[in-house]
Amino acid sequence: MIFELLAGNLTHGLLLGGVYGVATMGLSLIFGVINVVNVGHGQFIMVGAFVTLILFTALGLSPVIAIPVALIIGMALGFLFFYTVMRKLIKAPELASLLATFAVGILLEELAKLIFGADFRGYYWDVGKIILPFTTIPMSKLYAFIGSIAIALFLYFWFSKTRSGTAVRSVIEDSEGARVCGVNVDWIYALSFAIGIGITVMSGVLLTMFIPVGINPYMGGAYTLKAFVIAVLGGLTSPYGAFFAGLIFGLVENGAYTLFALIPGVAPFSLTVSLAFWMLFFLLLVKPTGLLGKK
Amino acid sequence: MALLRLENVTKRFGGLIAVNNLSLEIQEGEAIGIVGPNGSGKTTLFNVISGVFFPEEGRVIYEGKDITRMPSYKRAPLGLGRTFQIPRPFGSASVRENVATGAMFGTLAGKVSVDDCLEIADRYIQLVGLEEHESKEALTLTPVEKKMMEIARALAMHPKLLLMDEAMAGMHPKDIDKTVAFLKKIKEEEGISIVAMVEHIMRAVVGFAERVMVIHQGKKLVDAPTKEALEDQRVVDVYFGHAAGEGNAKG
Amino acid sequence: MKKNIVKYYPLIPVLAVYLIMFLIGFFMPGMWQMVALLAFYCALGQSWNIFMGMTGYVDFGYVTFIALGTYGMSLGITYFSQFEWLGMGIIVIGLILAMFLAALAALLEAAIALRLRGAYFAIACIGINEGLRYFIEGAKIWGGSEGLIFFGALTQSLGRETVNQLTTFWADFSVFVIAALAAFLNMHYMRSKIGYALTAVREDEDAAKVMGVNTTKYKTLAFLTSGLLGAAVGAMAWGLKLGHVYPGDVFVIHYTIECIVVVLLGGAGTLLGPVVGGLIYGLSKYWLAIIMPGFQLLIFAPIIIIIIVAFPEGVIGVLKQRVKRTALEKYIV
Repeated sequence: MIFELLAGNLTHGLLLGGVYGVATMGLSLIFGVINVVNVGHGQFIMVGAFVTLILFTALGLSPVIAIPVALIIGMALGFLFFYTVMRKLIKAPELASLLATFAVGILLEELAKLIFGADFRGYYWDVGKIILPFTTIPMSKLYAFIGSIAIALFLYFWFSKTRSGTAVRSVIEDSEGARVCGVNVDWIYALSFAIGIGITVMSGVLLTMFIPVGINPYMGGAYTLKAFVIAVLGGLTSPYGAFFAGLIFGLVENGAYTLFALIPGVAPFSLTVSLAFWMLFFLLLVKPTGLLGKK
Repeated sequence: MALLRLENVTKRFGGLIAVNNLSLEIQEGEAIGIVGPNGSGKTTLFNVISGVFFPEEGRVIYEGKDITRMPSYKRAPLGLGRTFQIPRPFGSASVRENVATGAMFGTLAGKVSVDDCLEIADRYIQLVGLEEHESKEALTLTPVEKKMMEIARALAMHPKLLLMDEAMAGMHPKDIDKTVAFLKKIKEEEGISIVAMVEHIMRAVVGFAERVMVIHQGKKLVDAPTKEALEDQRVVDVYFGHAAGEGNAKG
Repeated sequence: MKKNIVKYYPLIPVLAVYLIMFLIGFFMPGMWQMVALLAFYCALGQSWNIFMGMTGYVDFGYVTFIALGTYGMSLGITYFSQFEWLGMGIIVIGLILAMFLAALAALLEAAIALRLRGAYFAIACIGINEGLRYFIEGAKIWGGSEGLIFFGALTQSLGRETVNQLTTFWADFSVFVIAALAAFLNMHYMRSKIGYALTAVREDEDAAKVMGVNTTKYKTLAFLTSGLLGAAVGAMAWGLKLGHVYPGDVFVIHYTIECIVVVLLGGAGTLLGPVVGGLIYGLSKYWLAIIMPGFQLLIFAPIIIIIIVAFPEGVIGVLKQRVKRTALEKYIV
């Protein structure tokens, strides 16, 4: 019985883990390239969720269409945010960029509240389900998982096979060296930032398949914190590391929840959330460069 | 008893051996020049002595005490002072505050008040000729002024052993002579041992050092009185050969 | 002796502002609540700035200390109000518990997180805050997510009249005291060896070590001071004043952001900055809450961004440059 439950929860955890992975890749990319921790990260996931919701409920468009739309909106937001705010803060003390990204997060939340109100909303994308012996999986979640792998692969190919991707990697390794070698570092900063935000907004689309009634202007903060944990787990500057760490995180989260639920007298959900942060704390303590990080 | 003794010290970075089984002795009141081409392990040697890195093998003995694994901040109060190859001023603090910080945490730590330290600072600032810049933020100084400020800051620590990492690089010959002169004077007055690491500036080595050590590929090649060392054929091959080939590149 | 007093001159404008605020609140009817709110922000800004301003480390999880202070006071009153002979002593016990919890957290965090730098430190601090909050909720300790409600116990133990005075006057008054204490400690640190050590840490931590600065010791000292002051504010302005505590209300990163905004508006690392920042922030928040309730954050967010991009030095940072080499120089730090 417990094993069935565990197997079921781990399956869901793996599917959600893929989305977590994509939801963190942008954070790692931005940290790797411009050395800025985007504290308003989760709010961009929220933007993606609302994009999906509006397309689905107001225009009747499938979430599949929302994916490219989210990418375009995200990249546009990324460029806007970069050129108006971040560009001036790359060389500034850390405090400045941490606070600016936080403020942008708040701005997005408040704008979302202004437009959509503070209610929890959701939609139901009925595309069937798969019945396994130990659990039932809605096809929408499976599609989200496939989508997350596709996005991760796209990023991988961009990174390893294209000119701009190679330039980004060289900037992550050594921005001054890259500059000397003729890489337009400032453009790479802008582009990586925009792509980082674009992926993040896209991950918001995928996430909606897992939160049937959880779309809300203030949903982002929790994902910022999860993304931190996953990013550190994955080595902080490595987008692939982040993807695999996302899978691990999804599994650990759902596995731990199943086990905590067996302990009488505790609130398993909160305990699971707290576990994530103790994990983070422990990781930073033992290996600040991350579990999957290089050195 | 030697002031500082290194016994078979080895420091590796991955596969690279930066300091290779090196031993040396420094007596109280000595003026030593360490020379060697770029990447010969001189800065690593200083880092091992001042505790920035711990060596994998060997021992560092200071005043008869094993300090091989002592954290760097505990070494300064024992009398180990240093300057950095690329100056590292506390940028937002004034020159006076920078130098006073040296006095506060050096060998006088715990014995002097903040005001005393500021007075000590004034003395050394005058010595290096930075009086006019005393209240400037350190980051606004020119590179050479920063070097002078670092020397003042290290001297204000009242060290017994002062390690100077290319402290005179980039200086005008006239300033080098001046600096060498006051270092000699201070050394006599306060009985400091000074180990200066100089790469290309023969003028400073000849003018200042009583003994010269030549380091090559992490090993000690020559250790002899200045005149003798500089005439050694191996030194001419290794050091001047490199130096001539590399022009004025700094390591 | 005279020289030593001159060193503390910059405290004069700070304490003068606090005194004027207090007098306005005390003598002008209807002003007390607003003045108390301003003092709250000044006190938090001043406390946070001791650590951030002097070391350059950004503690995003600072609210942990405020929250633990609140819990200390709440636990003290909840568990000790049954002993009637203790009387007002329960508040002292609450304050001691607040200090104890905050000190414990500060030392643990210092031992672990302070070894990390920059973004890692910021993330670790957020992690600790969230971890604690959800642990309290998840393991259902200290009332779990239902929190502790002790206003009734307090009233029963001390009487309605006393409690009324405590919550409407003394709790706020103590925030003024904490703010003044924070200013004094900040000034004292700046002018002593500690300040020199922390400046060295902020500018170049590795060089500082070689210069003989025990960086861990001084960072921990500043962190602890900052944390204890924050906990004291939490104990008085949240715990005692409100009579209840819920984890979801107190372990909220937004409060850290408020501290940061206060400090940044006024000027990080300055003494007078948090006071000016606290006044500007508190007044505008108060005013916006009246004219456009619910939209404060929408207006604040872009303001924060503009300040960071255009005036990173803050009001006092700019003023400090202006008064250089004038008679005012020794009053403004």
